[in-house]
Amino acid sequence: MRPANDQGMRCETEHDSGHCITCGDEAVALRVLRVDEERGLALCQDASGERTTIEIALIPPVAAGDGLLAHAGTAIAPLSRDEVPA
Amino acid sequence: MKYVDEFRDPELGRLLAGEIVNLVEPGRHYKLMEVCGGHTHSIYKFGIDDLLPENVELVHGPGCPVCVIPMGRVDDGIAIAHEPNVIFTCFGDMMRIPGSDGSLLDAKAKGADIRMVYSPLDALRIAKENPDRDVVFFAIGFETTAPSTALTLKRARMEGIENFFCMSNHVTIVPPLRALLDSPDMRLDGFIGPGHVSTVVGARPFEFIPSEYEKPIVVAGFEPLDVLQAVEMILRQLSEDRCEVENQYKRVVLYDGNARALEVLAEVFELRPHFEWRGLGFISQSGLKISEAYAEFDAELKYSVPGIRVADPKACQCGEVLKGVIKPFECKVFGTACTPERPIGTCMVSSEGACAAYYNYGRFAREREVV
Repeated sequence: MRPANDQGMRCETEHDSGHCITCGDEAVALRVLRVDEERGLALCQDASGERTTIEIALIPPVAAGDGLLAHAGTAIAPLSRDEVPA
Repeated sequence: MKYVDEFRDPELGRLLAGEIVNLVEPGRHYKLMEVCGGHTHSIYKFGIDDLLPENVELVHGPGCPVCVIPMGRVDDGIAIAHEPNVIFTCFGDMMRIPGSDGSLLDAKAKGADIRMVYSPLDALRIAKENPDRDVVFFAIGFETTAPSTALTLKRARMEGIENFFCMSNHVTIVPPLRALLDSPDMRLDGFIGPGHVSTVVGARPFEFIPSEYEKPIVVAGFEPLDVLQAVEMILRQLSEDRCEVENQYKRVVLYDGNARALEVLAEVFELRPHFEWRGLGFISQSGLKISEAYAEFDAELKYSVPGIRVADPKACQCGEVLKGVIKPFECKVFGTACTPERPIGTCMVSSEGACAAYYNYGRFAREREVV
């Protein structure tokens, strides 16, 4: 997620797509790298390698390597490992 | 990412397109609404409508969160942003939505402390870093985004953060669909249901569409073959004289949704009696306000806001676009006075907006040639 347009005011999660999905209601597939169980957070990585911290309170327990679907910093569904970036 | 490649396979796409051709009745015009702005974006990004027969028309629905924010709410947000000692936070595209006297971006240029965030958690972090300031988060979005706001308020309470407030503009997907179905100027044959909203609410809330309005709905994912398959499933229902809720996106969406997310939403939010939607007017029980249990975080209780209903600019036809009555290029100001760089209407701001999707993927020229 990074500023993209000339005004630096458009967020973006897909490279080269100009597609803002934080403002929209489209979630993004992420792979879990590390879990902080005490705080209910997971460090995750998207297809472009960008890392982000995600709230995991709303999905069943996850472990490193698992996939999840996240939106606006919160996981809303678990994903199969086949469906997330390696 | 095995599934991404599989769901973009051109050969499978051609096969599905062939199936679709076999399912349509010659001489019948089919109007299918994709509810979600994410689907609108996928359709134009991947050219999905080019694979459909001429008599299958995709109509763009109201499921773009920034597109449905009325000007009056933007004005209310700007009023809060100008309050002393406030750091106002919101998502990126929201900053560019025009209010009656400029956007949040304009207010920032005039000196208001307005910051873009990627999640409500980012806004909470700003509150923790600035304990002597009041941090207000302008929350938008359907049921996909609302759980994130709800969890953030729970976390704020758990961590004892007292300088964090939320102005909730969250909306729910079912009431506008009902309003569209009740609208006399709409004639739709079926719906492509929102994929990620449904991960939270499930497919069950859409059962009223077949049971009360006798239309099919298929909840779909966002890859090109997801959307094509959803079109095929709707047309198959119509050809077999069926109408039911089907779930094309079973790999992610459970029929009953995410129970934990629904519990959190019920705890932190309550339905407003009515909420104004851009172009659609006031719709009963379609907006979420902060519940009494979390009232100490409600920015609308802490600050007095103008709360004035502001009419859309006369030239702007976002309302008709959001209802699927006209195509974006049929709007008088599309691509001329209204562009993604200088939007007049909300639908030109977010890339999920139908106008921005048309503009960014060249539909502007191609559609006009057809016309």
